[in-house]
Amino acid sequence: MVAINPFNPAHPDYPGRPDKPSRSSYDAIVIGGGHNGLVAAAYLARAGRSVLVLEKRPVLGGAAVSEEVFPGFTFSVCSYVVSLFRPHIVRELELAKHGFELIPLECSFTPQPDGDALVRWADSARTRQEISRFSRKDAEIYPEFGLAMSKLSQFAKAIIDNPAPDPNAIRPREIAKLLRLGKIMQDFDGDTRHLNLKLMTSSAVDFLDQWFESEVLKSPMSVSGIIGTFLGVRSPGTAYVLLHHYMGEIDGAYRAWGFARGGTGGVSLACARSARSFGAEILTCAGVSQVNLGPDGRACGVVLENGDVINARTVVSAVDPRRTFFGLVGKQNLDDEFATQISRYKLRGSSGKVNLALDRFPDFTARPGDGPHVRGDIAIAPSIDYLERAYDQAKYGDFSERPYLNVVIPSLSDPSVAPPGKHVMSIFVQYAPYEIKEGPEFWPQRREAFGDAVIDTLSEYCPGLKDSILHRQVITPWDLEQEYGLGEGNIFHGELSVEQLLFLRPAAGWANYKTPVPGLWMCASGTHPGGGVMGAPGELAAKTLLRSGEL
Amino acid sequence: MNAFDAIVIGAGTNGLTCAALLAQQGMAVVVVEAHEQIGGLARAHEFHPGYRSAGVLHDTTVVRPWVVDQLSLVHHGLQLRPTKPDVLALGAPGESLLLAGDRLRTAGEIAKVSERDADAFLEYRAYLDRLRPVLSQFFDRQPLDLIDTGMGDLWAMFRQGLSLRKLGKKGALELARLMPMCVGDWLDEWFETDLLKAALALPAVAGTFTGPRSPGTNANLLLHEAAAGTGGVVAGAPALVRALEKSARANGTSIRNGIEVKRLLTDGGCVEGVELVDGEELRAPLVVSSADPKTTLLELLPAGTLPRSTEEALVSWRTRGTTGIVLLALDRKPVFTCAPDKNIAYAQTGGHILDIERAFDAVKYRQVAAKPVLEIEVPTVERPNLAPEGHAVVAVRVHFVPHTHDSGWSEQQRSTLGDQVVAELGQHLENLADTIVAREVMTPADLETSYGTTGGHIHHGEHALDQLLVRPAPGCQRYTTPLEGLFLCGAGSHPGGGLTCAPGGLAATAIART
Repeated sequence: MVAINPFNPAHPDYPGRPDKPSRSSYDAIVIGGGHNGLVAAAYLARAGRSVLVLEKRPVLGGAAVSEEVFPGFTFSVCSYVVSLFRPHIVRELELAKHGFELIPLECSFTPQPDGDALVRWADSARTRQEISRFSRKDAEIYPEFGLAMSKLSQFAKAIIDNPAPDPNAIRPREIAKLLRLGKIMQDFDGDTRHLNLKLMTSSAVDFLDQWFESEVLKSPMSVSGIIGTFLGVRSPGTAYVLLHHYMGEIDGAYRAWGFARGGTGGVSLACARSARSFGAEILTCAGVSQVNLGPDGRACGVVLENGDVINARTVVSAVDPRRTFFGLVGKQNLDDEFATQISRYKLRGSSGKVNLALDRFPDFTARPGDGPHVRGDIAIAPSIDYLERAYDQAKYGDFSERPYLNVVIPSLSDPSVAPPGKHVMSIFVQYAPYEIKEGPEFWPQRREAFGDAVIDTLSEYCPGLKDSILHRQVITPWDLEQEYGLGEGNIFHGELSVEQLLFLRPAAGWANYKTPVPGLWMCASGTHPGGGVMGAPGELAAKTLLRSGEL
Repeated sequence: MNAFDAIVIGAGTNGLTCAALLAQQGMAVVVVEAHEQIGGLARAHEFHPGYRSAGVLHDTTVVRPWVVDQLSLVHHGLQLRPTKPDVLALGAPGESLLLAGDRLRTAGEIAKVSERDADAFLEYRAYLDRLRPVLSQFFDRQPLDLIDTGMGDLWAMFRQGLSLRKLGKKGALELARLMPMCVGDWLDEWFETDLLKAALALPAVAGTFTGPRSPGTNANLLLHEAAAGTGGVVAGAPALVRALEKSARANGTSIRNGIEVKRLLTDGGCVEGVELVDGEELRAPLVVSSADPKTTLLELLPAGTLPRSTEEALVSWRTRGTTGIVLLALDRKPVFTCAPDKNIAYAQTGGHILDIERAFDAVKYRQVAAKPVLEIEVPTVERPNLAPEGHAVVAVRVHFVPHTHDSGWSEQQRSTLGDQVVAELGQHLENLADTIVAREVMTPADLETSYGTTGGHIHHGEHALDQLLVRPAPGCQRYTTPLEGLFLCGAGSHPGGGLTCAPGGLAATAIART
């Protein structure tokens, strides 16, 4: 008999079960078994609290999930690469012991329409050789750029590893936080400070224009500024995300991106096993329909979709802010001002996903054959104009006919995810706006057309692709909302635009995981420091909750 | 022995303001202007025999009251309007909305299409009134140095931080939310009427390389609204120039127009004067340039004079002009089809936020939009003497027009742009085509040559958060430059472009302190 895939909930060691809760009351109930919910649960359980995690779907991981979509083919269905998962979380939750393992991506491959290509390697000298074919000047300055960015990333790290500073608070803790940031700035020289200011305010393209001349280099670099956002590479405020490529830490050492073994779901399952080892209870097929409020207006538990009531001293929500407050708590239980803040919170999903099961290795015209160059990520981003045109279409309510694509073929570095000789290809697609002109509910009718646009685009660089496709799964923003619970299909639980970051995420005055509903906390990407498979919101939320003395 | 204490390069509103204030302090000042006529982007010019334009910049409501007072401009003939002039917002042919100088009248106009928006508009105005005292400091105070931050700056930051408290704890956080937003999202929070939203959004993006969906454009809107504190100047920008000139001359400033500066004379780290194109040398211990920063520091200075980092910062200083100008000479008064009985002096197109966004999209690809957005001024309404008896001038600022056209700016391209504008305008003016006597079309490239602003940028540099907070470059943020005796006083310095006269005024203060 065939061994059951460890990501299949039927597997005996699967950390979640569709059972009944073992008790009627818990210290904390975590709504949503995504990676942030599980990280929060693990920290709370580790601190000796009784914790129950409730996941609506039969599988754990939320958007950080591996599923055997087609027999023998396991996909990182949504989130497909891991970069910023905080190393101290791996240590504190002993995730390695529970199967957390990252396989570094060695490079980034950008095939060009003219049959040429640029590959950026982890090894800078090799990258410079590649770049010098397009611009000697750019090749020379490339390391200098990397150095400057790594310097600046200290600033960004200080931000994502701490709760958001509260500019209004006069508490010593808050002032210390601000001083710490101030200190980092003071230690920068003038040029670096100016660079930091530009990084925080300008567009990815304008920022890169100061350094480089070659579009073959600038285009693929600029896209890291727009992933998951409803912005273009020329939109102010997109530059700072460039940093993430210089902050990635895998097992402590600097590396940009990596795959989790078995797919991104591997990260979530490791978190789940860790949470269990600390005594947390994890239920699947347990959708929550409502947060229960006591007579005093305090959150005192939840009602499941099947009507069961479970009590808790605190409820921690790992679903996006809008669903948390308008869906689970209910507008009628919020004061008008806060309700307005949440209704103004922008979700605006802008991306989709196409997952392919291939019966053979797909050849790229620019560099045929298997090789290290296809074991990293493959970016279809031929020019700045191409990327902006893709964005412009989305602004007016269409998906891009020629979208930006970020492609990975995990089966090349992790054979466990596909049958021998066969491959899985995961394609991240932007732009696919949630709000198409016809209205989001019409996405199902346009789903296949969207999938075709993606395959046609990629086929221009990979002619044999169509013939090698065994199965295809097309995920639109509508699907991300309906199936994975991401509001408006936003992969970050809310636009990562400056007015929704730091002390403004998700709402001014409520950026510290606490909510206006006593006993209700938030712990996912809709809170500081935002989206991505970082685990930071879950960790910071749990630590803040424990420190608050409420639990 | 120097004949002058200070040489001011450029007789635009900022150059004249700075010169007049320096002269007021008893300095012997000479202003050197390349063009035959003074006024820079505010100068009127005869584009067809008997027909004169009213200048590229038109919005005089932002002029700083403290400049008007200190230079007693009213005494020198400046008349301020009691209220802002009416602006007619044009949507689809036949559709329009009058934004009256008086907000209650505007609310009345809005009420015809949306009661809800009429009330919201009064709240909106009231909210902007609350922000004005805080935000207008930006135009009336020396800039902070955010790069080389000294104790003085920290103290100033602290004080300005306290002034935010005027808005209350929540108010300050709200401001932090609003600044980085795109103007489209913010106006969506207030209003439902597309034409109203588009009309209010245009000033936030006019002249910039951004559209109403670009983050940060809301900061431009809020700053513009904070600056627009007066009713504006009767007879517009040229009248402001005349008053500034009178005041400058009254203080003993001499103005030499029609002669261009070839280069700056330097000795070591010091500036000694300027050399004019005819070879004449003017010497003074102080040279103040109202030309844009790239021209002043990269062109007029010998290469290698500046520290590397300053030079690099200036090279990447963004000056992509996006404004074109079309001037029309008409043989009769223009009649707006949707307001035939009114004498409209100001109007604008762009019926929907996304119309403006589409117009911006084109410029990213170095092209002109199919439907450019127009800011229309009929200067002859207030100043009939700009045209022959009974005739009229229509001055149109066209958004967005690329500085570098994808297929190069040929005569052909230029007249296509002219035709586009006339066609667009023709939808709102009664048989426009038949009434046109002559027209002049200026692309950003043309503005660059005739006004000497790099990239033809009407603000001397993009109004984006990074270029507003550090303007123009580290080491040059307080009107000083790495060269001793050389100062900047143009729109490329804090607080930026427009007819505020603030850069010139604040530069004079900074110079007086040294």
